[in-house]
Amino acid sequence: MITASTWRWPTPNGLPPLPLVGGVVTLLGVLWLTAPIVEVDFVRLFGSFGKMMHFAGQMFVTPDWGYVPQLLAKMLETIEMTVLATAIAIVVSLPLGLLAASNATPHPLIYRITRDLLSLMRALPELVWALVFVSAVGLGPLPGVMALAFVTVGFMGKFFAESIEVVDHKAVEGVRAHGAGWLQVRLFAMLPQALPDFVGTVMYILDHNMRAAAILGLVGAGGIGYDLVMSMRLFQYDRLLLIALAIYLAVTALDRTSDHLRSRIIHGRHA
Amino acid sequence: MNAQPLKAALPEQLPPKPRNPMPVWIAATLAMLWLIVWDLEISFETLAYGVEDMAEYFGRYGQPDFTNLSRYLALMGITLATALWGTVFALLVAFFLAPLAARNFSPNAVAYRIARETLNFMRAMPDLLLALLFVAALGLGPMPGALALGVHTAGFLGKFFAESLERVDRGVCEGVASTGANFPQMVMYAGWPSILREALGYVLYILDRNVRMASVLGLVGAGGIGLALHDTLRLFDYGQSAALILVILATILMIDYASAWLRRRLG
Repeated sequence: MITASTWRWPTPNGLPPLPLVGGVVTLLGVLWLTAPIVEVDFVRLFGSFGKMMHFAGQMFVTPDWGYVPQLLAKMLETIEMTVLATAIAIVVSLPLGLLAASNATPHPLIYRITRDLLSLMRALPELVWALVFVSAVGLGPLPGVMALAFVTVGFMGKFFAESIEVVDHKAVEGVRAHGAGWLQVRLFAMLPQALPDFVGTVMYILDHNMRAAAILGLVGAGGIGYDLVMSMRLFQYDRLLLIALAIYLAVTALDRTSDHLRSRIIHGRHA
Repeated sequence: MNAQPLKAALPEQLPPKPRNPMPVWIAATLAMLWLIVWDLEISFETLAYGVEDMAEYFGRYGQPDFTNLSRYLALMGITLATALWGTVFALLVAFFLAPLAARNFSPNAVAYRIARETLNFMRAMPDLLLALLFVAALGLGPMPGALALGVHTAGFLGKFFAESLERVDRGVCEGVASTGANFPQMVMYAGWPSILREALGYVLYILDRNVRMASVLGLVGAGGIGLALHDTLRLFDYGQSAALILVILATILMIDYASAWLRRRLG
């Protein structure tokens, strides 16, 4: 008798489908092979559970309130780096996005080159570029902004291009039928249609840059990251607690705002 | 006779032209950016004068030194394995948390809120911060890196999965629910099968992202190729740094193409 608690694969013979079994077995095999490389050791993992709890326990100290003004200044710097880098990236990636969209590009060759350029730009993480730029222009927020802008142009250009590629072709033809020139078609038919997508992309990039900017200080590229690493190295848990809290609050606030904005754009103005 | 009502319909004066606030917004944005540049003490003159220095600086990376290539490839292997383990860990956590964090599947409001907030918290902690914490607790090596990636991306994956689950067709849910299915059965028969393709796409995206991140986790002692790059940059060994950057770049581009190909086949 089949009861409500009967478990059965929804296939004719009740056995799991072959591709799924194959996939899972392959994955398990790869995991088993790579376990020694990653030094996965469950005994050590569970053995260190006490150590981890002890470490977490150290975080429960009285926060170093005297540090708050400096913390706020550093957080402001982090946010400023985020905003500036995003703004620069928007300005640079709009034209690049047009060149990298198959329906807006002036020539297929330019399309290919721009696409590859963008994928090269986003290939390496911000931190690697920050390391290189710090060596090139010295410590401070400037190399951080440069690294953030450089990498996010790679992402934003690609996202912009993808949203331009899916615009309705009828509107483009309509504008072209009025005798609009090359640039006018792109400005008045393609960009307005892709604008809602652009806003979503910009929010996503802002979010991404905020997280990245919070750790760029690790390599001396400005922001809160430097204080974060120093307080951890010097075991200043009273500061570490405040820094972690500040990062958490800033990221969460931005996350909520972007969720809210995105749902407003998707579901109309008053959702 | 006919012209009279038409004339009346035309107002004496036209309604005011709708205001265009765009210039105000643009001016405000520019002013804010200018303030930021001023506050961060970024000087464009230095940047302009520095272009020559920078060209000279980047010229030093001109001759990649591939003498230690086999060692670099081994390090890259560690990095890839770290990313894979991190992704699998994230997948496991998200598999259990996502149905609880999807409004239409969650058994009750309390579980929904707790699952949502857990995912938010995991997402908000930067992975490098988590890696620092895990390295401090577990010691050096790739495992703390994999754990850090796993915890951070579990937050993303869980959120993506939950959002996909919320978009599952109501008819499918009601059909399965009408057979008297309980919560795990709802999730297994109505939830995951409906979003399988989407979910695989998200997993590929996260794997892609984790490979990028894993290559820098070495900076905080979590193993892999990042540590080697950090050391060679510190020692001003441009040839070896260039070789390391090229190895990372080639691997990431390969993963990029592979995942784009897989996604096309799935989609």
